[in-house]
Amino acid sequence: MALKGLDIFKLTPKTNCKDCGSPTCMAFAMKVAQGAVPIEKCPHMSAEALSTLSEATAPPMKSYKVGELSLGGETVLSRHEKTFVSKTLYAVSVCDCMDEAKQDEVIASIPKVDYERISERMYVEMVYVNHSADKSADDYVALINKVKGLGRPLVLGCTDVAVAKAAVAAAAGCDFILNGADESNYADMSAIATEAKVLLGVRAASLEALHDTVEKLEAAGNKNLILDVGTASIKDAYANAVQIRRAALKDGDRTFGYPSIVNVAAIAGGNAHMEAALLSLFTCKYGSIVVCSEMTYAKALPLYGLRQNIFTDPQKPMKVTPGIYPINGADENSPCCLTVDFALTYFLVSGELERSKCPVNLLISDASGMSVLTAWAAGKFSSSSVKKFMDEFDIAGKIKSRALIIPGKVAVMKGEIQDKLPEWDVIVAPNEAVQLVKYLKDEEWKKSLTGKSAGAGAAASAAAATEPAPAPKKVIPAPPIVVTGPYKLEDQVVTYKHRDASSNRFVVIGERIHCISPAIRKAMDSYDEGPILKRAAEQIAAGATYLDVNIGPAESNGPELMQWAVQLLQQNFNNVPLALDTANKAAIEAGIKVYNRENGKPIVNSADAGSRIDNINLAAANDAIVIALCSADGIAKDNEERMMHCHNMLERGLALGMESDDLWFDPLFLVVKGMQDKQMDVLNAIKAFSDEGLKSTGGLSNNSNGMPKHIRPIMDSALVAMCMMQGLTSAIVNPCDQRLMETIKSCDVFKNNILYADSYLDI
Amino acid sequence: MPFAKKPQVFGASINALTLGTGDKAITLGGQNVYNLYTFDAPIANRPKIGIDVSDDPQQPSPGLAAFYEGCTTLADRAKKAASLEDVDFVCIRFDLADPNGADKSIEDCVADAKAVAEVVDKPIVVAGCKNTSKDTELFGKVSEALQGKNILVLSAREEDYKGVAASAVMAYGQKVGAESAVDINLAKQLNVLITQMGVDGHNIAMNVGSAAAGYGFEYVVSTLERVKAAALGQSDTTLQMPIITPVGNETWAVKESTAPESDNPEWGDQDERGIDMEVETAAACLAYGSDAVILRHPESIKTVAQLIAALM
Repeated sequence: MALKGLDIFKLTPKTNCKDCGSPTCMAFAMKVAQGAVPIEKCPHMSAEALSTLSEATAPPMKSYKVGELSLGGETVLSRHEKTFVSKTLYAVSVCDCMDEAKQDEVIASIPKVDYERISERMYVEMVYVNHSADKSADDYVALINKVKGLGRPLVLGCTDVAVAKAAVAAAAGCDFILNGADESNYADMSAIATEAKVLLGVRAASLEALHDTVEKLEAAGNKNLILDVGTASIKDAYANAVQIRRAALKDGDRTFGYPSIVNVAAIAGGNAHMEAALLSLFTCKYGSIVVCSEMTYAKALPLYGLRQNIFTDPQKPMKVTPGIYPINGADENSPCCLTVDFALTYFLVSGELERSKCPVNLLISDASGMSVLTAWAAGKFSSSSVKKFMDEFDIAGKIKSRALIIPGKVAVMKGEIQDKLPEWDVIVAPNEAVQLVKYLKDEEWKKSLTGKSAGAGAAASAAAATEPAPAPKKVIPAPPIVVTGPYKLEDQVVTYKHRDASSNRFVVIGERIHCISPAIRKAMDSYDEGPILKRAAEQIAAGATYLDVNIGPAESNGPELMQWAVQLLQQNFNNVPLALDTANKAAIEAGIKVYNRENGKPIVNSADAGSRIDNINLAAANDAIVIALCSADGIAKDNEERMMHCHNMLERGLALGMESDDLWFDPLFLVVKGMQDKQMDVLNAIKAFSDEGLKSTGGLSNNSNGMPKHIRPIMDSALVAMCMMQGLTSAIVNPCDQRLMETIKSCDVFKNNILYADSYLDI
Repeated sequence: MPFAKKPQVFGASINALTLGTGDKAITLGGQNVYNLYTFDAPIANRPKIGIDVSDDPQQPSPGLAAFYEGCTTLADRAKKAASLEDVDFVCIRFDLADPNGADKSIEDCVADAKAVAEVVDKPIVVAGCKNTSKDTELFGKVSEALQGKNILVLSAREEDYKGVAASAVMAYGQKVGAESAVDINLAKQLNVLITQMGVDGHNIAMNVGSAAAGYGFEYVVSTLERVKAAALGQSDTTLQMPIITPVGNETWAVKESTAPESDNPEWGDQDERGIDMEVETAAACLAYGSDAVILRHPESIKTVAQLIAALM
């Protein structure tokens, strides 16, 4: 937790002695708060003040490793604020009070639940070994020796000091926690735990007593603790679990800044369904380790799914492992339905396929966890990615059916996929998953079959052989560039005015030539210059500085199409500067080859700190500007991560000989509907770029996605004003939004980027 | 430093919404603390449990089929369901009214609803068939037929809130549930729109979306938490309506609950799985902010009732 300057000031001697080199204690405190000088610069700080400071800057909750398992380290109470750090771990309890047969039964049951769900292994992570007061140390040691065979980390539940000593010796060699300190024995228990270098579990009769005991343990130097919320009652355990976590994270009470352990086996009253309810309750709030009497599939299936949901990064999509998922008993002769690896898409599609009761092989291909259309637009779900997937997983070898049903939303890919997979019948499914049930039940997909099959007998293959191979999709060669002469829009001539590339004025990159728009997609498919020139003219007339040219993945004709578009736009509009926007690198390079730099360097849109980092090299090699997205795989979780990506990309660019001015950092604007509480992070990131003298840009209007049409200009204008205040130097927006453009021009006046005149809006 | 409890009591509170009439009437909401946080301040109205009864006699598990054995009509099943001690209200669901399915007539639905009201003295909640145009008419007619019973019609959605709120609340004095699907902005917008029609916000409950544990439930978690945080922490009166969450219809539709034991022998008994899926999902909903949950299995209802009682 960052301390404010005034908080630090209160701890200084307030003598203004200047020994630290600052004129006053206040000035010194402010510098310390900014991290400009270390606190040790002041020779007069009391030891108490220093420890308060180090305490205040320490993380609010300790984090530990037990073997490979992680515990604690949380910083927030709700998952939407920030990703939780350590998922709840589950343990099954076994006690020396059980007879041998029962012990063996419990131990044997533990490995039974073990499965994978969305790339995560689901199993009982730990074993809670309980000691009952009426049993001997030998009984307990014997049990520990038995449980050790499972090879899982243990929690030793034992409050008897002498027995604990023997138990710790017996547990040597495996990872474990000693859960046994209470108000009376804490000193001895702490000594045992410290010597064994293990975490010590602490319990007490009340929260107040627990707090005192932890303070005493800390004073004795033991800060490797875990807090037992107690087993007095369900109500008590819940109240303690919540209040301990809340005290640590919300109220800054470091004494309670430890992970927790909840023994629901002891409070469920032997009721298995109640135990299920409690496992769920304490996974929600706030058990670090939750102990139950038995883990069955009935309990586990919802529980592990719930945990997976709660502990995912709220900003990173859950991904399903790519591969073949047979549904409704599908076999090698069943048709294939292809989709992306976004978990929600998977659940939706697989659910509908199940409802159809038709056997289908669901093929999940890697699309970076994006939904179908988003993945397609980003070039993550393309004919090449599908081809790669089909080869990598040897689908043709594993499945004999040759029906490949693709999502209706990407019907446009059909031709390209068909070209790359000529032995398959590529069939377009309906647009929405719910329509799949009827589509499959009525066997509509069969209408598109041409009789292709693998190894389905000589007759079939002979028939296939005589059948002429389908003609590959025709690639239309780019026509010559049409220059219309002065372009007129409603009788007004539109020209691009010469621009000084070194101007400080805000750079508006017009976003409207984008293949996700059906009109543009169609125009690009057929090299029809009309709609493209019209949109360019509209944006230039409205005041765009640059035009973005998004040609989509353009797998078959990228270079040709980009060269055509670049020349078409530049020759018609006085060499308007352009941002070349596609996942197709060859297309960007080809575009730059024919690009005229009169009004500014070309912009490569875009690179990121993950799989697209090579686009920085592409920009460097071609003396271009690059838009650098401060993300790697999904949205950065906080500004620390954003700045890390920023610095990585900056370093790379500089090493390649780029000027820092040619890297425009994109913080990634977030949707207000959905991420309202993260908007200030984006604004602060822009400030951080600006403070480091870096340029920035981004798709600012993403903030208002999903809002009514009349609201969007209002939100976009307010945000652009706030962003420009923070130092944003450019944005990828719709220049035809008048309110937005007026706001930008006005802000340019306030920022002294252009001299005011009454007609400043018109120029 | 000794530990000092810092109860998180808010100046704002969740609206108290009463359903039903007479001594079986129930009140949802009313608290000025987060759900189940009785250690912060006493909670006068514990979370409530409804039972989901469909007009479709088909049951998703052998245990549920056994429970309703001998019942031939919706009223029979509703009566049987209402007889469970832990049931606070009965939610009747007209699945068969779906025009793309059995397309049961509005008249038959109304007759069913009347028959239910004859034999059930606990509060009644009405769910439709998910077809917005059919539901608008259905809710209107049922609201009219059960006037004076103080029922809740569950679904006023973005597409049909006007018709539903106008008939159910304004014409027949019933309560209405504003339904959105894990979209907090829409949840708020719907409440604003319905109150702008002239409906008192105190007649509105919210269904902000539901899912089975493991099936995108994180969106339910964050929506519930953020609604309560805005309602209490920011005193946002447009989000202070109590939240009612249908759980059973989601959990009894996923394979963990519907797959027979023969599909996956190591998974064990189907009813046991379905119950735990329902119980765990419901417990999570209650922990994050639901003021009422609607369940299907008698054993789930018993367990969740015990859980609530233990926490109050």
